[in-house]
Amino acid sequence: MSSLADQRMKPLIDFLAQRTATGEPPAADLDLIENRILDSLAVVEFLLLIEECSGRPASLTAVSAEDLRTLRSIERSFFG
Amino acid sequence: MDEPDERFRVLVRRLADMSERDYYNPYRLFEWPRELDGDAYWMSPDLMVETETAAGAGLSEQQLRALSKWSSVNFYSLNVHGIRELLVEMVNRIHRPGFEVPSEYFHHVIGEENEHMWFFATFCRKYGGKIYPDRSVPFPGPADPAIADFLVFARLLIFEELVDYFNSRMALDERLPETIRRLNAVHHQDESRHIAFGRRIVALLHEGLRAGSSAEQLHEVGEYLRRYMRTSVAGLCLPDVYLDAGIDEPYAFRRSVLADPGFEAFAERVLHRTTTFLVSSGIVSDERIATS
Repeated sequence: MSSLADQRMKPLIDFLAQRTATGEPPAADLDLIENRILDSLAVVEFLLLIEECSGRPASLTAVSAEDLRTLRSIERSFFG
Repeated sequence: MDEPDERFRVLVRRLADMSERDYYNPYRLFEWPRELDGDAYWMSPDLMVETETAAGAGLSEQQLRALSKWSSVNFYSLNVHGIRELLVEMVNRIHRPGFEVPSEYFHHVIGEENEHMWFFATFCRKYGGKIYPDRSVPFPGPADPAIADFLVFARLLIFEELVDYFNSRMALDERLPETIRRLNAVHHQDESRHIAFGRRIVALLHEGLRAGSSAEQLHEVGEYLRRYMRTSVAGLCLPDVYLDAGIDEPYAFRRSVLADPGFEAFAERVLHRTTTFLVSSGIVSDERIATS
């Protein structure tokens, strides 16, 4: 279960939970890319959801796979 | 790439001859009026997926025309980003062992695509004041180089066929400004060569994959391409476009469009030619577009 405090991330956690084998939300430090929960096709939808939840456009030139690797890095990169 | 067949050698020679024969100077070909008719459609309404959904049915005529303008700018922006990927991947493979036969034709494609990217970018900047951003993020690709090569050319083919569906129709749609019709007509002419090439190289690369991959790997590759097709059509629906068109709640509007059965029907229609090819070549097992 994720232990992230920012409530704005709930739709993101729900999105990722739909993509896990168990349907459970991924842990905050689980590697989403290595575990194939996020891939190059899902990432576009996911970025749009990040923009909607954070209320600001992702700085697209600066987004890297590392920013999206775990829920914790997502919180740090887009909701900090 | 495995040893290419004689048919492939003949095809690339013929396509290279056609490229030389039909060569044109894009920098002098087009007339760029200062502005385009703001009251006209810039994209054919039947090529705007929103018009086939409940969310789109609620739009006024004025909103629909604004949507057609910004959808048009998005369509050419997608072309710019898709061509950039094509150029990078093709340059990475040109004169690499295994690509000796198509290398000569790669030079023509790279040259032509660079010119396409120029006229699409010119359109976006001149009449939209911007190129919509690309939201793709570089992820590690497949470890198996044969799968990586195949997926690159399969993605490029799907992209070119999708775009060509729009080009071939908008070239003939008299509701659109002349500049837009001309842009689409010129691109359609070049893309018919690129698609003929793309289909052959994709079929050949897949033959190589079949020889060296498990049934599970081949299934996974096919499913990836079904998802890629859905993602490509979804790229036509952008919150940035809806915002520019004056539509409230652009993210929610986009979700409604994508969840509508009209979206699936639209995606299957515009990619019908492609899915038929992929199924008949044994690359994917299902003509339907992935649902998510």
